[in-house]
Amino acid sequence: MHIIVCVKQIPDPEVPPAKFKIDPATKKVVPPPGVPPVISVFDERACELACRLKEKHNAKITVITMGPGKVSDVVKHALAMGGDDGVILQDQAFENSDSFGTAYILSQAIKKIGSYDLILCGRQAADWDTGQVGSILAEILGIPAITIAKDIQPEGDKLRVFRVMEDGYEVVETPIPCLVTVSNEVGLPRLPSGMGIIQAARKQIPVWTAQDIQVDPAKIGPAGAHTEVINLFIPVRETTCEIITADTAAEAAIKLAEKLREIKVI
Amino acid sequence: MYILSAIAVAFVAYAIYKHYKLWHIGKADDRSKNIAKRVWAFIITGLADGLGHRRFLKEPYPGIMHLLIFWGCLVLLLAAAVDATTHYLNIHLEGNIYLWFSFIVDISGILVLIGVFIAIYRRYVQKPDRLNTILDDGIILSLIAVVIITGYIIEGLRIAVTELEIHPEWAVWSPGGYVFAKAFAGLDENSSLILHRWLWWFHAILVDAAIIYVALSYSKLQHIIISPLNAFFRNTGPVGVPAPINIETAETLGVGEIKDFTWKQLLDLDACTNCGRCQDACPAYLSEKPLSPRKLTQDLKAQWLKTSQFKAGDSGGQPPLVGGAVTEDEFWACTTCAACQEACPVFLEHIVKILDLRRNVVMMQSKMPENVQLMLRNMQSRGHPWVGAQSLRLRGDWTTGLELKTLAENSNVDMLLWVGCTGALCDRNVEVTLSLVKVLKAAGIDFGILGEEEPCCGDPARRAGYEIQFQTTAEQNIAMLNGYNVKHILATCPHCYNSFKNEYPQFGGNFKVTHHTELISDLIKQGKLRITKELDLATTYHDPCYLGRYNKIYSAPRDILHAIPGLKLDEMNRSKSKSLCCGGGGIHMWFEQPIGKKINDIRTDDVLDTTAKTVTTSCPYCLQMLEEGILHKQMQEALKAKDVVELLEQVIEQPS
Repeated sequence: MHIIVCVKQIPDPEVPPAKFKIDPATKKVVPPPGVPPVISVFDERACELACRLKEKHNAKITVITMGPGKVSDVVKHALAMGGDDGVILQDQAFENSDSFGTAYILSQAIKKIGSYDLILCGRQAADWDTGQVGSILAEILGIPAITIAKDIQPEGDKLRVFRVMEDGYEVVETPIPCLVTVSNEVGLPRLPSGMGIIQAARKQIPVWTAQDIQVDPAKIGPAGAHTEVINLFIPVRETTCEIITADTAAEAAIKLAEKLREIKVI
Repeated sequence: MYILSAIAVAFVAYAIYKHYKLWHIGKADDRSKNIAKRVWAFIITGLADGLGHRRFLKEPYPGIMHLLIFWGCLVLLLAAAVDATTHYLNIHLEGNIYLWFSFIVDISGILVLIGVFIAIYRRYVQKPDRLNTILDDGIILSLIAVVIITGYIIEGLRIAVTELEIHPEWAVWSPGGYVFAKAFAGLDENSSLILHRWLWWFHAILVDAAIIYVALSYSKLQHIIISPLNAFFRNTGPVGVPAPINIETAETLGVGEIKDFTWKQLLDLDACTNCGRCQDACPAYLSEKPLSPRKLTQDLKAQWLKTSQFKAGDSGGQPPLVGGAVTEDEFWACTTCAACQEACPVFLEHIVKILDLRRNVVMMQSKMPENVQLMLRNMQSRGHPWVGAQSLRLRGDWTTGLELKTLAENSNVDMLLWVGCTGALCDRNVEVTLSLVKVLKAAGIDFGILGEEEPCCGDPARRAGYEIQFQTTAEQNIAMLNGYNVKHILATCPHCYNSFKNEYPQFGGNFKVTHHTELISDLIKQGKLRITKELDLATTYHDPCYLGRYNKIYSAPRDILHAIPGLKLDEMNRSKSKSLCCGGGGIHMWFEQPIGKKINDIRTDDVLDTTAKTVTTSCPYCLQMLEEGILHKQMQEALKAKDVVELLEQVIEQPS
């Protein structure tokens, strides 16, 4: 089985929102200095699921990322977890692509890679949370897409995908090749083993440009965007604290309940 | 007689050869460098810890016991050598010289007997927890006692015939033999002679048998040879520094089976006498965790012997090391506090072995407690080990409003103040950092900081066995520090301090490293800080392991406390080199084994046994752990925990 995992490098989502700044001119987020970028948490879980499939069913894992700057770190991280090959898509022309542009660029790279059985993406990127790239990518490639999965089990030449629902999960059977987006219910991703890091460090990761994957310039970047950012702002969150006092705990509880009902929380 | 000696020598030679072969199933470890330093260290240790029993006498009872047996046997051995030499050179000791010689030898034997009886009483009557008595203990104690007593009987028989009648005044110079001489006084000369001869042979064969027994078994008496050898090859560098891994060539990481240990580590196992001093000092054992350094060493030793007897093709496969001879809970329980190594009379190095075991499960199998994994993931993605509330802060936040120079702005400063992750990110520890900055400013120190750019030193990764992360971090940090031309690092955290000072040189990072207590005590001595106020306060000082036992800094923090007028320092029972860990070392700041008691509770009890109203320390981990201990005891009103620098800040004159 050949699994392709798409990963994205994002600013650390654990950093509190107030520490970010917005550049109003470019409508871009400026992460605080000294905060290293990380692999998107859902994508890391996609890697984890790929590694589990590899352990059980002898798969080959190719990790692919697109982004500016030093994105090799996230690919190395995925390779250290258990990936076999990596590909970096980097070109000035790719910048400011929206979900449609990104999915198109990825699809061109995947066509260049050739055959595959399964494509894994995170359910959404933990920075913009749009959750569109996976589905659009499947659409472009003309393969089935199953979103928000927590497990995958091969069944003959089909895959059983366990899809997270609000009140449980549903099991979907799909032919291969197909695309699955992975949710956090997969569980904690593994820490790359020491040997994994050593082996990943020895690997060369090719960088493919727009020319290498023959993209249509009209479909990428701002030109190919289907969406437009009108406004970008950090929401103001206000908290007020009111301490309810009473002589006894029972009285305080009654007063608290009354207050909660008054503000329509219960 | 000569045949007996030859047999004994042959068996001892065979035993040494066998042990040599067994040590070398381990990996290479070059301990031949700097041989002059090693020889010198060995001479000093031989005099102080060998002949002088410095380490043994830290505990008087077992110390004196060993001292009596050791010195008694040594004198008896020397006496035998003198006897033999004088015999071959045809010299006769005569007159008073002989009488004194005889007296000293006799008394030595009595001392050995006293030692043996103390040992028997301790082992079979008192039965302290740390002693794990096996058959060998009984055999060797009996052997020593019987050899000495038969020696006296033989001497007594001779005295009865040769001296008792003719020179009774000589006989009393051999008090041990004299007692038996009196008893045999009625025996006729012929019977005495026969008995003397039989007993003499019995005595000689018994000694020979004892030597053969010790040579062939793995009796602890082998320590007579192996322990000095271990002391000779011991680590003469800083405490608890593991070897780096070679990223280019490594095929296996850490210790997954016995042959992954180095030969010196196997010699260590061989040298352990099962005395249990380490166990008594171990905070993990004291808090009822599943670790005893004594038991771990003995279990590894048993595994080593089992592995060495295992032959390819034996059924059942090689006995497993982790999960068999030792459990993961055992080596995760270690706080790397080095109390065991400080207590060990034969210089065992427990910590690096434990780190090697961690390395294998962490780096080869990705197996570790969940919180350890969380901590390591944070170090990897975020560059520091903290999660939770600390992630609301960023590294540079503490500098707000202080107008400090960052090296990025100006790297032309006398020293770099390295704040460390904890001092930059944890609220309580940031207070200490701010106090330190005030003190440095008051003394007019020219320092810079890295601010947002400051990474983690890497220490938690190394203690967790995730060496690869530590090495990458260390190499990056060294490149950055050299890029800023940093020569002198002022560290507030003893763990950062230890990494820079003792571990970065492994990767080519050579900096002058000072801990803030060292710098401040110097500043006080040089009169650069004006102490103008008094502090009427009873305090005690908790020695951080990585400052004390790891780096022997005991006096600098105390000098600061003594310089504060009105302050009274009341030491805890366990202090300085015997200090008990706060419980936060060896990555236990980030993960807790929910087994037994909490180490910081035990340490807080130590504090409460003093008159102190404030417990001082000089490590961010210790400070957090002590505060938590105080909270558990609900003593937060009566007892505070402070860094030494926080108290000093209260009494110095601040520049206006």
